[in-house]
Amino acid sequence: MTDETSTPTGAEPDRGDELLLPELVAHLRDNRTQLRQQWAERITDAHLLSSMTNQEVFSEATSVYDNYVEVLETGSVKALQHYARDLSERIIPRGVETHEVIGIVLLLRDVLARSLFEKYRDDFELLNRVLDAYEPAANRIANTVAVSFVEQRERVIRDQQDALLELSTPVLQVRERLLILPIIGVLDQTRAQQLTEQLLHGIRAHRAKLVVIDVTGVPDMDESVANSLVDTVTASRLMGADVIITGLSSEIAQTLVTIGVDLSKMHTVGDLQGGIEEAERQLGFRVSKVPDAD
Amino acid sequence: MPTDVPTAPHVPLPASILSQGPNLIVSIHAALDDQQLERLQRDLLERVGRDRSRGILIDVAALDVLDSFAARTLADLAYMAQLRGARTVIVGIAPDVAMTLVRLGVRIPLTQTALDLEEGLEWLGT
Amino acid sequence: MASEALRGDQPYDERVVVELVPVLRRVVGARIKDPHTVEDLVQETLARLMSSSRRVDPDKLHHYAAVTARNVVATYAERNDRARNRSHLLADPVDVAPPPTEQLLLQEDREFVAAALGQLSAEDRDLLVAHEVHGQDTSTMAAEVGSTPGAVAARLSRARASLRVEYLLVVEAIDPPSDRCRPVLRALSSSDRRRQRELDVNGHLLECETCSQLADRLFERRGQPAEDGVVRVPVSRDADVVTARQQGREVAASAGFSTSAQTLIATAISEISRNIVKFAERGEVAISLVTEDGRRGVRVVARDVGPGIADPDVALRDGYSTYHGLGLGLPGAKRLMDRFHLSSVPGEGTTVTMEKWLR
Repeated sequence: MTDETSTPTGAEPDRGDELLLPELVAHLRDNRTQLRQQWAERITDAHLLSSMTNQEVFSEATSVYDNYVEVLETGSVKALQHYARDLSERIIPRGVETHEVIGIVLLLRDVLARSLFEKYRDDFELLNRVLDAYEPAANRIANTVAVSFVEQRERVIRDQQDALLELSTPVLQVRERLLILPIIGVLDQTRAQQLTEQLLHGIRAHRAKLVVIDVTGVPDMDESVANSLVDTVTASRLMGADVIITGLSSEIAQTLVTIGVDLSKMHTVGDLQGGIEEAERQLGFRVSKVPDAD
Repeated sequence: MPTDVPTAPHVPLPASILSQGPNLIVSIHAALDDQQLERLQRDLLERVGRDRSRGILIDVAALDVLDSFAARTLADLAYMAQLRGARTVIVGIAPDVAMTLVRLGVRIPLTQTALDLEEGLEWLGT
Repeated sequence: MASEALRGDQPYDERVVVELVPVLRRVVGARIKDPHTVEDLVQETLARLMSSSRRVDPDKLHHYAAVTARNVVATYAERNDRARNRSHLLADPVDVAPPPTEQLLLQEDREFVAAALGQLSAEDRDLLVAHEVHGQDTSTMAAEVGSTPGAVAARLSRARASLRVEYLLVVEAIDPPSDRCRPVLRALSSSDRRRQRELDVNGHLLECETCSQLADRLFERRGQPAEDGVVRVPVSRDADVVTARQQGREVAASAGFSTSAQTLIATAISEISRNIVKFAERGEVAISLVTEDGRRGVRVVARDVGPGIADPDVALRDGYSTYHGLGLGLPGAKRLMDRFHLSSVPGEGTTVTMEKWLR
């Protein structure tokens, strides 16, 4: 900092600076209606938020504007952060893109900066200082909004991926109390766990007593996935459902043996057709006869 | 009152034990701590002896956590009940709980399990 | 007024204070059973009395000593038995402190503050005194030092954070065992995340018993959990295990974990809290939300003051059980979580830190 300044209070050069932000805030409050209107128009002109109606844009613009001024006033982005997250949650499903959100915040920054130029254009020195005070705060606000949006968007994408993953391993009910889980494609641990979760919920929903897990479509399995498969079987049993595994390739069988699985305790049948027949026999058997004690 | 419950014996367990024919139907209403689990185990074994029960059904659907201690206590209970001539079936293990038990490493089947009360009773041969 | 008290007149002969020992033993002994603790607390009371006796009217010294002892005992109980409401055990027939006593305690407190201020840098001290005592606003102060009000406010807040640390050290009469302690405590007190990372605060807290206890008190003092939502559950009885895991589930739910992940976390908490109940007399489970590399997660820190585990590797082996269990407690919890760390000092205690991350 230098002592060089032309403000009237020359003896105490920086003294006025901290009054600038309050002044700025007052300016933005006084011109709220007009600036907000300008901003909303700029948003429409730039074809941003095109998936939203003008009314919606205006109402969100109002909230963002007020939050914006509040951040300048209090220096705390907490409320804005909260609002931005909430906003993102609402507009992401509408197909609003990241560049649009960043775009509108930058537009607001621009609208406000212009109004400051307008107000202080006669005193270049003062204008500079006003902008010095304004810029960092404005950048911080832009950052906050953008980060909140991106985070929210990532979450949505993750959720969608999860949903897709679930679709790819359907649990089918072939007849009462009997579920089939055909697994196709490479299994990794995440997918194996997801699959287990789904199967267990399926067991409860369908009140299943038997599950046929068909792994014909699984090319290979490493040890951790093989372990997960064993976990799936154990967990199903804890819920009261027996599991028949079909379509074990000799490689996978080998892996299971390597990790110490006693295949004789796993109920395995050659192919899916055989597995279903076996399951039906068991179900019939259970229905018609009093079960043996253990 | 049994003397083997030193702390707060007056507090009832959040579980009920009903006699139904030769069987005892136990339903647990809320989370049990270790002491309460052990108390339930003792109470049940006592009832098995007194009522000459042939079967025990324990409904754990209300438990959102079954950890290694609970698993062990239930398995012990089943074993000791068997020594007294009663078979035990545990019903209502929630999907999340089943998966957690397995990941925890509880690989030995606890005891006989069934999906729900109806299945459990069927298994006990009611 | 404070400066007057500090200047004081003649200090008392130390023997006068030492004569109080039997009185103190009686006061402390009536409230604490363990003889070693009684001795410790009597010593602590004596130390406090010696540092402040010159401010006390000799006629009132006995009374003051009794009050100080009670105060020390209360602090001790609070420290050891936070959140567990056993304060009724400490209830005294004449519990309401008479005004003169309060006055004395206030004075004592002022002395602590003065001593704590003495530990700060001259700049920090001047800043605090100018702002807090002389009531200068940040704008005026900024103008004086040629800085911005924001920068001054930030400095003030750091200085206040440091003062909190120093105050605590003075009150507890603790000399930090290592050079790292002070910076770590200050970074914690100011909630300066970046600085905390630079200093590897968590690593230090795991190693340094003194700091880990002080850290708890720092948070306590500021009325945490607001920002991070650190949920602390004291654990000493079976029922606490249930409370801890239920709290864990709630925190996990608030972070957006699926119900199955919540169950994994709650179960892991159940296992490690049980270890506290079985092997240590008491401890604490702290559950918090954490963010790292853009991922969100739950961190669980279970700390106890107990015998410790001689060989953590063995304890983490499946089937190792010293009580009636499956021996799956620690290894099981480890399997349920994404990250698991156990550190233990035989004779001092065990800390388990574990985390689970949102996918």
